[in-house]
Amino acid sequence: MNFNSNYEELFYQSLRIRMIEEKIAEIYPTDKIQSPVHLSIGQEAVAVGVCHHLKKTDLIYSSYRSHAYFLAKGGDLKAMLAELFGKYDGSGKGKAGSMHLADKSIGMMGSSAIVASTISHGVGSAFASKLLKKEQVVVTTFGDGATEEGSYHESLNLASVFSLPVIFICENNGLAIHSNESQRHAYTIHQHAASYNIKTTYIKEGYDFELIADAMYNIIQDVRENKRPHFVEIKTYRYREHVGIADDHNVPYRSQNEYETWKKMDPLILDQKMVTAFKSEISREIDAAVEFAELSPYPPASELLNDVY
Amino acid sequence: MVSIYSKPVTIKSLSYRNALLQSMSNALSQHSHVIIMGQGVDDHKGTFGSTLGLAEKYGKMRVFDIPLSEEGNTGMAVGAALNGVYPIQTHIRTDFSLLAMSQIVNMAAKYKYMYGGHFNVPMLIRLIIGRSWGQGAQHSQSLQSLFAHIPGLQVIMPSNAYSIMSSYDYAVNHYKGPVISFEHRILYDIEFNENVVYDADPFNSKKVREGSDVTIVATSIMVIEALRAADYVQKTLNLNCEIIDLHSVSHMDKKLILDSVKKTGKLFVADTSWQAYGVAAEISRLICEEDPSILKAAVVSIGMQPAPCPTTQSLEKLFYPSIYDFISKLTFLITGKTHIPDENKISEGYKKFKGPF
Repeated sequence: MNFNSNYEELFYQSLRIRMIEEKIAEIYPTDKIQSPVHLSIGQEAVAVGVCHHLKKTDLIYSSYRSHAYFLAKGGDLKAMLAELFGKYDGSGKGKAGSMHLADKSIGMMGSSAIVASTISHGVGSAFASKLLKKEQVVVTTFGDGATEEGSYHESLNLASVFSLPVIFICENNGLAIHSNESQRHAYTIHQHAASYNIKTTYIKEGYDFELIADAMYNIIQDVRENKRPHFVEIKTYRYREHVGIADDHNVPYRSQNEYETWKKMDPLILDQKMVTAFKSEISREIDAAVEFAELSPYPPASELLNDVY
Repeated sequence: MVSIYSKPVTIKSLSYRNALLQSMSNALSQHSHVIIMGQGVDDHKGTFGSTLGLAEKYGKMRVFDIPLSEEGNTGMAVGAALNGVYPIQTHIRTDFSLLAMSQIVNMAAKYKYMYGGHFNVPMLIRLIIGRSWGQGAQHSQSLQSLFAHIPGLQVIMPSNAYSIMSSYDYAVNHYKGPVISFEHRILYDIEFNENVVYDADPFNSKKVREGSDVTIVATSIMVIEALRAADYVQKTLNLNCEIIDLHSVSHMDKKLILDSVKKTGKLFVADTSWQAYGVAAEISRLICEEDPSILKAAVVSIGMQPAPCPTTQSLEKLFYPSIYDFISKLTFLITGKTHIPDENKISEGYKKFKGPF
């Protein structure tokens, strides 16, 4: 695929993720996907912007809301959908499901359903990168809720004490399931992170993939060259419910107004010209991947006890 | 577990502590990707001497003290393992590993399976059972059953210096998954004089004494107690005990145990921990499910009393099974008669211990 500009390329990738997520939402009621899905709709630009300047050999860890990162890091859509369908050709042979997407070949090292549990993995992989002189940058992504966990604070401290090439990405959508950040935090995330003597960047335009990618370009370079951590908080907005596919703005834990405000800034909604230009090509790819997932076999019974030490 | 590993080792008089130091040093010198991380590994005490001088020799990037962040540290070890490092993590008390439980149980144990077999997490977590005088409720626990319950963990309890040398060599050089090793603090000062050449899988259970009257399955320091008890009953009552050093609590050699109990008809389990849902319960499950008819008598087990460990010596000595309990229960199982042993001395290791650390 040839693009005329960076904007076009990033737009395409973001739109592709949104359309994939929407397809998943469309299939979900059929029960063909029997794995809880935490959709990235509304947050695509963050993953695309974060991953754009990463090398294939750079590593990334994510949470249960990881579809966007898996795709943005270069993961195979067919393997992802087969995984969601519980099929043998999935990235985790069907044993992983939506919450545990990973693919070592593209440096997507794991995604976990335990909040904050992969933050320290990013720190450890960055330690290995430094010790073994691999010149990799390691990214670890998590939501604002994860910053309440002890191991988040432990990880920031460890990264700073050992001066490790890790980039912490806090995708702040302001919600932990149904509770608002203001109910949970006595601190401001990026300000507090800075107290660990880590360079921090705050981006409030989580819909702007170009701005995020540009900021990340400099951050990645600094972290790679100087072997020190960087913390990035990116404000974003979750369009759908925490887990599942519904729009739950009818429930009064958050406001319809806030949703409308974010939508008014969303390039995937605003730039319909681009949407029209790319839509059919992306649809074709998705349909082929869905077909692949449908046709893929379930893992054989012998897989039940395979891969246990 | 099937293994092609075969590395005969002959050791002449080596203490558990020196075996640890030597195995740590070997791992660091053989591989540049091995690190040791843990509280105090680089200080003047060097984890009870088991890491002494290694930071100076191999550098602070490879042998280093860590912040008191058990969960974060274990996650760091997992992440390092995923990117080519072999981490050896130490906890100077087993009890502290409870703070890292999520990383051990939710992450390390599941990493291979959960992602479809594409990842390995080779790492060694050394947990020291702090039992000695006055360590109380939170510095003395034997938590092997908690870990052995979880599929994906290899849980071992090396009972002697040889076992340390072979098991740690195997862990670092051959094994691909997370290994949880329980080192009993009291074993550290014991000298082992073995000239035995083993060629079995180092994680396997081992028969350490042939006998026909009873099968004793023991873990960690209870292997030493079992050997003492067996010596005593042989000398005084001419009874012959077969002893199996269970070693791997998670991957026990079921056939070795079944064959032995089939031969002796009697099973005595001596574990370092509480009995409920523990090692004796698991071995009893094995026998009951495979063939309960091989038992000629009810199973007997000894372990800690069902309470947190008391600190005062008057209660602590009741809390742990004594050699007196061991011998009297053992002889009753074999002969059906009461025997009052004149052996009630504490083991060599316990005598040597001078607190507090």
